[in-house]
Amino acid sequence: MGVSRSFLNRLASALPGGYSADSAPASEPTAWAAIALAEAGSLGPARKACDWLARVQQRTGAVGVTADQDLPAWPTSLAILAWQTYDAHAQGKHYQANIDAAVAWALNTSGRTVERKPQIGHDTTLVGWSWAPDTHSWLEPTAMFIRALYAAGHATHPRTLEATRMIVDRLLPTGGANYGNTRVLDQYLLPHVQPTGLAMWALAAAGPDSLEGRDPRIGASLDYLQAAIARPLGVASAAYAVMGLRSHGRQSGEIDALLQSLAERSLRERSPYKMALVAAATQTCVRPEANGGAASNPPSHNATSNTTAAPA
Amino acid sequence: MTKNGQPTEPLIDRRTALATGGLAAAGLIAAPYARGLLRGPSPVFLASGQRYDGPLRQTIEDGLAAAGVDAGSLRGKRVLLKPNLVEPSRQIPHMTTHPAVILAAAEALRGWGASVTVGEAPGHVRDTETALIESGVGEALADGGLEFADLNYQAVGWRRNRGRCSPLRGVYLPQSVLEADLVVSMPKMKTHHWVGLTCGMKNLYGVLPGIKYGWPKNVLHHNGIPQTVVDINATLPRVITIVDGIDCMEGDGPILGSPKPMGLVAVGADVPAVDATIARIMGLDPQKISYLALARRRLGEIEDSQIEQRGEPWRPLRSPFRMLDEPHLQELVAVDSELVT
Repeated sequence: MGVSRSFLNRLASALPGGYSADSAPASEPTAWAAIALAEAGSLGPARKACDWLARVQQRTGAVGVTADQDLPAWPTSLAILAWQTYDAHAQGKHYQANIDAAVAWALNTSGRTVERKPQIGHDTTLVGWSWAPDTHSWLEPTAMFIRALYAAGHATHPRTLEATRMIVDRLLPTGGANYGNTRVLDQYLLPHVQPTGLAMWALAAAGPDSLEGRDPRIGASLDYLQAAIARPLGVASAAYAVMGLRSHGRQSGEIDALLQSLAERSLRERSPYKMALVAAATQTCVRPEANGGAASNPPSHNATSNTTAAPA
Repeated sequence: MTKNGQPTEPLIDRRTALATGGLAAAGLIAAPYARGLLRGPSPVFLASGQRYDGPLRQTIEDGLAAAGVDAGSLRGKRVLLKPNLVEPSRQIPHMTTHPAVILAAAEALRGWGASVTVGEAPGHVRDTETALIESGVGEALADGGLEFADLNYQAVGWRRNRGRCSPLRGVYLPQSVLEADLVVSMPKMKTHHWVGLTCGMKNLYGVLPGIKYGWPKNVLHHNGIPQTVVDINATLPRVITIVDGIDCMEGDGPILGSPKPMGLVAVGADVPAVDATIARIMGLDPQKISYLALARRRLGEIEDSQIEQRGEPWRPLRSPFRMLDEPHLQELVAVDSELVT
């Protein structure tokens, strides 16, 4: 199931995009749009988005949250993924220098660790990436950097491997993930759809045969996502849930129907961010990387085969 | 705006603050920083026997008037209602501010001529739309014709830290907060497993944008929770509080605690005074709540003798909340409070 050409055109016309219809351009929505458009073969608009990300990239290699906010710079991960996806589909190395600088920044940046405490369930010594500088590692930014580093050819880098262990460590015993904690003061926290979707999407890169891939919490988390998409959700959570499910090869008519509904909702809201997430959730970029091993889905296909007359 | 949005901003000086005089001015004209310079007991309004399907608008109007808020001063003003939607879950409705209280406050303030927006930057949930769905607030706002501002992703401006309790030089505030003439903190009355109590002051963590501070707002944690609570309250323009104390949370708050029905609504323009009163009702010693102790006299009053109870007195309403049996919480509770694991 793909989104329609007119949907992609609407997304392209909103570039560079913000979180809502009337907000200023931001790096995360623009990067997701670039990824989705490149995967759909809309290389012209994807290039426009990638160029915007290149313009806001700092000398350090980092990409801030918006054009006028250098920090935090967690969207650097998504910029790497956007540039890499574009270059792969354009069969060139247009953004290699940007990617190299961004990867170097990422590998020199880490979340703060703290000594393990009995009140906190997760392993606070594992290193991933934080939202803001000099703070603890959290699940969502770490998931994004894992995918970025896989895409950039750093699948076996020690940082990638440790970050993958960190994601597994943050999964709840019965499946799903909170925003990052597991147990606090002897009580397990609530699972949430968005971080669970992102965690599953990241772990798909490692593949089912990896140590992390064999962890039973992953299957339980996918089951949690499958159940969660049956109830009312925000567009972003639902889109990340679909990414998590599809990247592990879980595809269903229910997901197709959900994507159609999400596309319509995101268009009604005219939110570039939500439109980009919905488009990304339908594209092959959410499926396992070839070098990750979990190639249960076909490789990327072209725009013609991946677009339909469906939503909106 | 400069790179990273760090403009200079005007301050309210002591002379201006003192010149405001009166309780209405304390709530609506003077900033929290200046409020500490004013003299006289702080009024705190309490009403018991409240229900979500009851006449909450009338209660809140009575509360605002009793707290010294002048209805006439609100005409044409921009008011931002800030509920607590930290990590909403349909299974735990006593975690978040009830939609009925938000709507009642909006109706009261609109009735007095204010332009009302509801805004929140959920602390643990990056998808604000899902937070609105899970809490029921989104549907209620649509029914009530109220706009919602997603404070996590708005454009931001930098303001110097007026509290100076933490090492933070300043804080980033979202556009809706910067443009508001009045921010109304609308917390849920709850225990908090790190600092004992979350109410009007702590709820204002939720005006800081996640896009700058993360999910959770770990920047604040690393700079000290009590210190940054005070800093945020000191730096915001103008704040009053309306507390949803109807169905409350005890035990492992602010997320996973148990329901505690209280039937209360509390209103005040001196936020520390309201929080101190709520603490007393919950069986906590306000002097031992670290951020209230820091706020004392800087931002408001927390001593019982300096608080004028309006509506109903707090003592007959006292009903100790169960607290987690943790060393850092044991010292906060009264002798008749129950510690639970």
